[in-house]
Amino acid sequence: MGDLLKDKVAIVTGSGRGIGRGIALLLAREGAKVVVNDLGGSVDGTGDSAAPADLVVSEIKEAGGAAIANYNSVASMEGGEGIVQMALDNFGKLDIVVCVAGILRDRMLFNMTEDEWDSVIAVHLKGTFSVTKPASILFRQQKSGRIIAFSSGSGLFGNSGQANYGAAKDGIAGYIRAIARDLGKYGVTANAISPGADSRMTQTVPQSARDIRSASGITSAGGGQPTPLELNRDPEDVAPMVGWLVSDEAKDVNGHVFHCQGGQISLVNNPEEDRTLRKSSRWTVEELDAMFPGTLGVDMVNPAPPQEVKK
Amino acid sequence: MANYLDGKVAIVTGAGRGIGAGVAKALASEGAKVMVCDIGATLDGEGKSSSPADQVVDEIKSSGGEASPNFTDISTMEGGESLVQTTLDTYGKLDIVVTVAGILRDRMIFNMTEQEWDDVIKVHLKGTFAVCKYASILYRQQRSGRIITFASESGLIGNTGQANYAAAKSGIAGFTKVAAKDLGRYGVTANVICPRANTRMTQSVPDTSRQLRENRPQDREAVPIDTETHADDIGPFVAYLATDQASFINGQTFLVYGGTITKLSLPRRTRTIFKQGRWSLDELRDLAPRHLTQNLINPSPPPTDPQ
Repeated sequence: MGDLLKDKVAIVTGSGRGIGRGIALLLAREGAKVVVNDLGGSVDGTGDSAAPADLVVSEIKEAGGAAIANYNSVASMEGGEGIVQMALDNFGKLDIVVCVAGILRDRMLFNMTEDEWDSVIAVHLKGTFSVTKPASILFRQQKSGRIIAFSSGSGLFGNSGQANYGAAKDGIAGYIRAIARDLGKYGVTANAISPGADSRMTQTVPQSARDIRSASGITSAGGGQPTPLELNRDPEDVAPMVGWLVSDEAKDVNGHVFHCQGGQISLVNNPEEDRTLRKSSRWTVEELDAMFPGTLGVDMVNPAPPQEVKK
Repeated sequence: MANYLDGKVAIVTGAGRGIGAGVAKALASEGAKVMVCDIGATLDGEGKSSSPADQVVDEIKSSGGEASPNFTDISTMEGGESLVQTTLDTYGKLDIVVTVAGILRDRMIFNMTEQEWDDVIKVHLKGTFAVCKYASILYRQQRSGRIITFASESGLIGNTGQANYAAAKSGIAGFTKVAAKDLGRYGVTANVICPRANTRMTQSVPDTSRQLRENRPQDREAVPIDTETHADDIGPFVAYLATDQASFINGQTFLVYGGTITKLSLPRRTRTIFKQGRWSLDELRDLAPRHLTQNLINPSPPPTDPQ
């Protein structure tokens, strides 16, 4: 047991399994009292069960920590507010919110149903808002607080078959950049993690899909042959960086995205200006057709080049 | 008037005013037949009016172009489907989709209501999906097509008071990067524009909040609202992306304003610490501030002297 987070109270959504579980265990080990939130659904968001959250809570208690289970869905404001209220009712305050809860409903854009879109956006994006918004009211009043949300390489770089997940995950990165600016002046920090880990969620992406992406030249955030680094990525590896970011020691780190995978931790920058084409007045299409390919268009890589029609 | 888009059919959402109107006119002036879609609402999404779309159509027609007004609410799947269907019924095909429609409901995160969140996410993010999804079915079959979506520096860089808008706009960027990978192999391209322009939307940002933003430490987050940038400056580059000549441009993000076009990078891993196996918390407490987060700028630091 450490004491880096002694007397802190934390919420970790989606902490019944995988990455969230690893974070809840580590925060508790460092002395935080943890609300272990997990609906206990399947990867696609259907069903519910108290067992995953209960198991993590008993694991924490057996190790001498303090935790309580919560089974709310984060996809509604009531769900999010209920989790925050539970932290206040049971532990008297709230210092740390970590939003890991998420589901996957992969489908190519042209086949994606409204329900596949809505449910993924609801759990990830609204589910991050629904918990952090009520928390931000408290954080502003008490002039302290830590928010960690989960983005993904799928959103930052794009991953075939994940239009819903990519929108939600890049949306979370944008959300964090905005609320870091809303809350920083109150002594609050908000950062995002883009994790690489072998969890129940990534296992649902079949190797055949990875092979197809690779063979058709589609660059992929998680496709092709795994690199040696990717082979070594336990979901619990993500927790230490989260543990440091939510501590008082990281009070100046605000509004950033970190990629965590195995023993590799990287700062991910915002999009930057690569090259610029400038003229003192409005362009015409004809001018752009003449100028673009030899300037901005040089070395441009199509992430999914056109394929010949199969006979 | 040129002919880069002769024989093409385009949908432009949010085309009744501002940047969308400029895009519709630019596409039409290159020969495309344009479905000018605008529900004609106020900036915060209230009300309806046919006059903004009608006016743009009149303008296109008086310059010798071809266009039809459309007043569909694109924030539902039915709306997106019906817009695509109406375009097919009117012009027989679809080659280009440009999704500009959007609303603003600015509020600090701790005061933002569920309604303010939902409305903004719905119009921007679901509205982009709703139209592009149905277009993508056609594009895949015909093995061609163009998607151009609109993100914002507010989402990619960050802006205070816009948690909903930033989430939606960054979400659109993520969506488009995936769409580019889902559709590229069928000869389709999908690209994102981050525009800067003086429009009804940016005029709604009060001067006081601009000053607040400008007084921030330098972290390139400030979004300059340059009075010399005209909404019509965005159209020509969108029209270029829509041409057959631009078939090699896919999955890219561009910052566009005035006579400036900048290619933005994908996010990059700029600093890395690495070890075999899992870091311990104590190791990170030592190493992270000395390397990973050293000299990082807090975009909104707390006051140094609380008194």
